[in-house]
Amino acid sequence: MPHLHDGLLLRSPADVDPAGLWVEDVPAASTSAAAERRRATELSRPALDSRRVLLRYDDGETDLVVVTRREISVSTAAGPVWGLGDGSGPTSRLDAIDETGDETGWLVALLVTLQRYDPESAPVVGTPRGAFSADLTGPVRAVRLVPTDQPAAVGLLFCENRVEGEYLPCLAPPFPLTVSVYHDDRGPRLRLDHSAALVAPEIAEQFARHLRLVHRQVLRRRDAEVADVLLMDDNEVLRVAELGRPAPPPIPTASTIHAAFQRVALSTPDSIAVTDGTDQLSYRALDERSDVVARSLRAHGVRDGDRVGVCLDRSTSFVVTALAILKAGATYVPMDPAHPADRRNYTAEDAGLTLVVTPEIVLPQEESVLGDADGDTAAYIIYTSGSTGRPKGVVVPHRNVIALLDATRDEYELRPGDVWTWFHSSAFDFSVWEIWGCLLTGGRLVVVPHAVSREPDAFRDLLKSERVTVLSQTPSAFAQLLSVDHADLAVRLVVFGGEPLDARILLRWFDRHPETRCRVVNMFGITETTVHVTAQTVTRADALAGSRSVGPALPGWHLYVLDASGRLVPPGVAGEICVGGAGVAAGYFRREELTAQRFLPDPFRPGVLYRSGDLGRLRPDGRLDHLGRIDNQVKIRGFRIELDEIRSVLLEDPRVSAATVVVRRDDPGDAASARIDGYVVLIEPADTREIRERAARILPDHMVPSTITALSELPLTVNGKIDQERLPHPAPAPSVVDSTPTGDELADQLRTIWSTVLGVPVEIDDDFFELGGNSLYAVRIGAAMRAEGLPTVRLRELYRHPTVRGVASAVRGS
Amino acid sequence: MRLTGKVVLVTGAARGLGRAIAVRCAQEGADLVLSDVCADVGGVPYPLGSRSQLDHTAKLCRHEGSAVLVEETDVRSGESVRRMVASAIDRFGQIDVVVNNAGIAAPSGRPVHGITEDEWSLMIDVDLTGAWRVMREVAEGMCERRRGSIINVASTAGLVGYRHFAGYVAAKHGIVGLTKAAALDYAPMKVRVNAVCPGSVRDVPEFEGAMLAEIARALEVPVHEHEKTFVEAQPMNALIEPDDVAAAVVYLASDDAKQVTGSMLTVDGGFSAR
Repeated sequence: MPHLHDGLLLRSPADVDPAGLWVEDVPAASTSAAAERRRATELSRPALDSRRVLLRYDDGETDLVVVTRREISVSTAAGPVWGLGDGSGPTSRLDAIDETGDETGWLVALLVTLQRYDPESAPVVGTPRGAFSADLTGPVRAVRLVPTDQPAAVGLLFCENRVEGEYLPCLAPPFPLTVSVYHDDRGPRLRLDHSAALVAPEIAEQFARHLRLVHRQVLRRRDAEVADVLLMDDNEVLRVAELGRPAPPPIPTASTIHAAFQRVALSTPDSIAVTDGTDQLSYRALDERSDVVARSLRAHGVRDGDRVGVCLDRSTSFVVTALAILKAGATYVPMDPAHPADRRNYTAEDAGLTLVVTPEIVLPQEESVLGDADGDTAAYIIYTSGSTGRPKGVVVPHRNVIALLDATRDEYELRPGDVWTWFHSSAFDFSVWEIWGCLLTGGRLVVVPHAVSREPDAFRDLLKSERVTVLSQTPSAFAQLLSVDHADLAVRLVVFGGEPLDARILLRWFDRHPETRCRVVNMFGITETTVHVTAQTVTRADALAGSRSVGPALPGWHLYVLDASGRLVPPGVAGEICVGGAGVAAGYFRREELTAQRFLPDPFRPGVLYRSGDLGRLRPDGRLDHLGRIDNQVKIRGFRIELDEIRSVLLEDPRVSAATVVVRRDDPGDAASARIDGYVVLIEPADTREIRERAARILPDHMVPSTITALSELPLTVNGKIDQERLPHPAPAPSVVDSTPTGDELADQLRTIWSTVLGVPVEIDDDFFELGGNSLYAVRIGAAMRAEGLPTVRLRELYRHPTVRGVASAVRGS
Repeated sequence: MRLTGKVVLVTGAARGLGRAIAVRCAQEGADLVLSDVCADVGGVPYPLGSRSQLDHTAKLCRHEGSAVLVEETDVRSGESVRRMVASAIDRFGQIDVVVNNAGIAAPSGRPVHGITEDEWSLMIDVDLTGAWRVMREVAEGMCERRRGSIINVASTAGLVGYRHFAGYVAAKHGIVGLTKAAALDYAPMKVRVNAVCPGSVRDVPEFEGAMLAEIARALEVPVHEHEKTFVEAQPMNALIEPDDVAAAVVYLASDDAKQVTGSMLTVDGGFSAR
């Protein structure tokens, strides 16, 4: 293994302040991963004083590493979450400003700007004198700077004196984003130096602009509430509002689903419309048969605007029935027979169904007139489970479905001759795309029976024998297909939906189906916005980069990203994804209050906006990054945890083909008992401890899963998404945390000292270094022990036994 | 820009070392002919470079400003190689540099008597004869133009032996011999022939390299253990990066190396020095 010199500040021993602290490491093999990690931790701590670290290896060799005092304590953690950087190396930009003002004004302006960029974290700004934070709840004038020892990703270098010539505040930016304010011979200057790897130039540019605007308000609007300080001026707000609307809406080609269907049926009457293995129907036959059923429904008492349940398996009958319900002027409410009876009964009751069509039902064969429907008539109601409360019915009008097809037909060349699968539960709105996407563009719809959808081999055989060309899948279901040989398929378009896509799983697909022959599109969508909202064609480059982009809004749809107060946030900044335009549903069925909460007037255009509850950010080019559910944002011991990021690291392991991560609490009332459990599907037999070790080398400590459990496959819900309820409880973690008092007075006393000094809860077997300990903390612990009248422990004893238990026994031994 | 105006043909360019070489040549101003087999080959126990990977390499090179021709070529077939060279001449009018990079590392992992007739033939066919087929097609044109540089990607396995890799070692020693003989054949015509001998090259995710992983698999040891063994055996204590090899290729391709022919340039951190 390479030794530890990389990236450290090395000096010859002569450079060292003799007062520097000596730290002697315990002998351990240079290749021991644990020792390696411990040393790296020790050496990367920002130090207030120079110190020399003697690293001993068990082969008798030593390395003397000198960690010099760092001028400014720099965050070694990842840079700003809103950075969007993808370049590398330092970059700088320079703006003329009106006045330099004073340092405090700029610190306050920076803190306020930072808080807007990342409301979840307490803002910290570093300076050469140390870092500052502030309570930003009151008016601007009341903001008081508070010193903090939290790491700062953004720093301010303020130069009071006017400097002659061209002033260069820093050669290498000491912070990922370094703001310098000074006055040179050309006037007052605001300079931004940033690492382009962490902060994209566009983002740095807007940050400087926002900072200047905020600074002006800090100086001039001192009585304003901090919460009311504006980040963007009106022009910029309009520009950002326009950014989420990349294409104008297409002109509607029909008013209702059945009218659009009939047009297709007239042009290709003899093509097969739907086939389910036992039965197949041509477009003409489907049209005629649904007419008959529609008349029967009317004769049975179904009237315009009524809701009719369809409790049928995926089949030609389902399609006939749904189309008949639309022709009868009514609204279809799909009820998956695979769902529990309770859920179906709830749906039937809540939707106030006139009738439920089941396989047993016999409808009167009578003549009757068809119903009347227009674009605003509800076409279907699909029930979605929120994270809280009972499922709610989302009412989607005909025109939304027409708009969805108008937005995609040309771009994806959806044509007669295509063969689509109907894979997903009818009660999951991805099926709306599968059924009507196919039937309104003249394709042939191949019903995938439930059993086949659960068997990757059988599903592959079906794709092959039916020569399927358009495949819509949740990423979890697709991952199962990838686990079998999938070379000989005719698929020309894969559409992902329903779940976030980790693009890396696609590399294996592309190897068999190059992008020139099969287009892969990731669509982000929500039931409340009619299946899809955005679309991103995924390439090998995206897959290699693990891109999170879900692309720009579909033509006719538009996006805003809003903060908690409903203000637009700038590109790059995370907020709630809100969707407007042609796909927004009519609301929740008979839930006026909830509808009013989630469906709001669009502040920038006529129409309604749906608040998705999903976290995302717009990129400067108008594409959306989807960052997960807002209510899934998890904090463990104060750290924000990105479950997707952990999953993504697990997936990078060449031995892992699928992965998921959940957070569990042993004690639901105690946040400290929260723990991350990882689940993986292995390509080849492997020790899950090694997989955890690998993840621990990449992830910050607080994001390393406590357990990794190998499963033969990840359990899926009927909708093809990962079913967290059915993930087994993990095997007990290797090191059991003992959180109760130990009964050992000395140990408890030491725990208190450690946790006071380290600022984190300490258990008796916690590793000093993993808790964030370093040589300075060790010295402070020594001082605190002396203050309590305890015998002190030599540093090397602490390093040799870096736990409370170890130190306690060393104290007893001395 | 050391390769401005040169047309460089790289075989096995879909991923790994081939991709790194192609991108580096593009950065140095070359136009490129990129080929790979884009199919699995019976007898090779791992997936070979795919069309999608080859297209991605081409995209990366075009991003650097190069004109790129992509060819699906099986170096086991003289006809396939002839077609590739003809298309390249058709498109660019000349080929200035050939990088014979296509190669396989497995089937391996057994002692000499454990290798089957077919396995032996396959290894020699791809790793040795493949390079000869490409040279045969391009040499005449280069000789006529009195310029050209052929770079064969050999290996430290072309200089020393490795246990349980007899086929690979024999093929790579063959490449070294072929390089020396060809250098003498073509020296009067100012066509240079050299080899690079990389040590263990790290599988870099962005290049989608798979060689080290496949060698480890052939030896039935975990990749990281295999890496460790190599790092420990190598005087500079590091794996070779694909870019390190690409830089050596660029040197041999460039006019900086105008007096260099018949040489074996090791890029192995000192491995073969002891």
